[in-house]
Amino acid sequence: MSISIQHLSYIYSPGTPYEHKALDDVNLQIEEGKMTAIIGHTGSGKSTLVQHLNGLLLPSEGKIHIFDREIIAKQKPKNLKSLRGEVGLVFQFPEYQLFEETVLKDVSFGPKNFNVDEETAISRAKEALALVGIGEEYYERSPLELSGGQKRRVAIAGILAMNPRVLVLDEPTAGLDPSGTRKMMELFKTLNKEHAKTILLVTHDMEQVYGYCDDVIVIKQGKISTQAKVSEFFDEGNEIEEMNILPPALLRMKKMLREVGFKLDEEAKDIQSLAKEIAKQVKKHG
Amino acid sequence: MGNITLGRYIPMDSPIHRCDPRGKIMAMLFVLIAVFFPVGWIGYGILFCLISFTIVLAKLKFNFIWRSMKPMLFMLCFLLVINILVVKTGTVLFTIGDFEIYSDAVLNTLYIAVRLLLMIMVTTCLTATTKPLEMTLGIEDLLKPFRKIGVPAHEIAMLISIALRFIPDLIEETQRIMKAQESRGVDMKEGKLKEKIMAILSLIVPLFVSAFQRAEDLANAMEARGYVPGEKRTRYKVLHMQMRDYILLGASFLTLVGMIVLSRVI
Repeated sequence: MSISIQHLSYIYSPGTPYEHKALDDVNLQIEEGKMTAIIGHTGSGKSTLVQHLNGLLLPSEGKIHIFDREIIAKQKPKNLKSLRGEVGLVFQFPEYQLFEETVLKDVSFGPKNFNVDEETAISRAKEALALVGIGEEYYERSPLELSGGQKRRVAIAGILAMNPRVLVLDEPTAGLDPSGTRKMMELFKTLNKEHAKTILLVTHDMEQVYGYCDDVIVIKQGKISTQAKVSEFFDEGNEIEEMNILPPALLRMKKMLREVGFKLDEEAKDIQSLAKEIAKQVKKHG
Repeated sequence: MGNITLGRYIPMDSPIHRCDPRGKIMAMLFVLIAVFFPVGWIGYGILFCLISFTIVLAKLKFNFIWRSMKPMLFMLCFLLVINILVVKTGTVLFTIGDFEIYSDAVLNTLYIAVRLLLMIMVTTCLTATTKPLEMTLGIEDLLKPFRKIGVPAHEIAMLISIALRFIPDLIEETQRIMKAQESRGVDMKEGKLKEKIMAILSLIVPLFVSAFQRAEDLANAMEARGYVPGEKRTRYKVLHMQMRDYILLGASFLTLVGMIVLSRVI
């Protein structure tokens, strides 16, 4: 287990009239090398939870175990900075963190903060930019004159260049168009499969959970309500509609088809194979 | 940042809440001026009773005023030390070693403390019972007579209300950017001078970018709804002076006159 959280609670502004318990006795195990989705309503505590993973917020109660580090409530944490190098946190709308004169300088800013020398930082920045699909012609441009989607990719490259083992993404596709969203999700899949990064993805989009993630964590009013494998999570017996979660379109389609008498193969996991399946059935019954 | 009480509006329904903001601002000014006259303990006693009566009328809690006063305590302690060192009149209260503490030093500090308390009480009476929007309307109307000498009353009021509106947003934004940069290894608290400059730069630049972005969005939104500065506009909320406003104004003006007379007599 690379990340384990035990009895974690977090209280905002304790002792004031604005006191608010955002996390309440959270217990979690997150496996290394997996892509895990964190879902839940606005204000359910998702963002609060992920900010604990790199020590931006420190637990009010409980403890967090990340690799060989421990953060325990009411104890002064050691080496938060090196933790931040290992757990890269990408905030919602990360394009607001860009500040340097050129794209290349901005992306190499992260590694330089971790005492990486200039040359290595630049070469890591170039690698990260190549990964997110920003070409050489942009290196010397100001990050502020790029388009929205490009800015976001540069910002994510800024975290990737730190070469973290775990990448935590807070709604990375919010506000992107469908093709931008797809490219972004493909990028995370590549990072997970080919670069062996553990990925935690906060999202509202069930299609992303179903299409890309291995595990899913449902958080509700500061508590973990479900943790499951994605393959089992969307099983019909699970009654996820009761949790106010709309299943992915593909699954809804399958369900409707079954209801009108189609006999479907369980294996159809994308639109193409489902279409073939339907065509086969239609031909058979001609 | 969530526990600042000074200057915060308390949504409630009381006769003072319902008063016209123009009347309240003028009344506050009268009483504030009155506080500055040297009226002795009797005068301050009378003022304290009058203002306390208003606070009760406004359904405010004294605890709330006390919390606004708290940040000033440090300043008062500082004043006390300075007064003890400087003021050498009156009778000697007690001596510590060779050092003598005079009664006037303590008395002077007490005077300032009482004035400060009265001022905070008066201003809280205004800010806690007046919505920021009403306040700017009031300021705009009160500045109107100065338009003849080129004071852009409406624009000033609009500026104030926009500035007030964006303070919480900017605080939130600052915290957000700080967290984002801390995630990239920036140390906001420690580090060498060069690192510190970088850290501040990494906060200021995005903050400015987003502030300008917000300003532009707001300007566009205002223009899209037909806002032209200096043009005649109708108001959604029209202010009317009523009986209670005249009573408030009259009472505060009488207080001022009374205090002036009292300061001449003493």
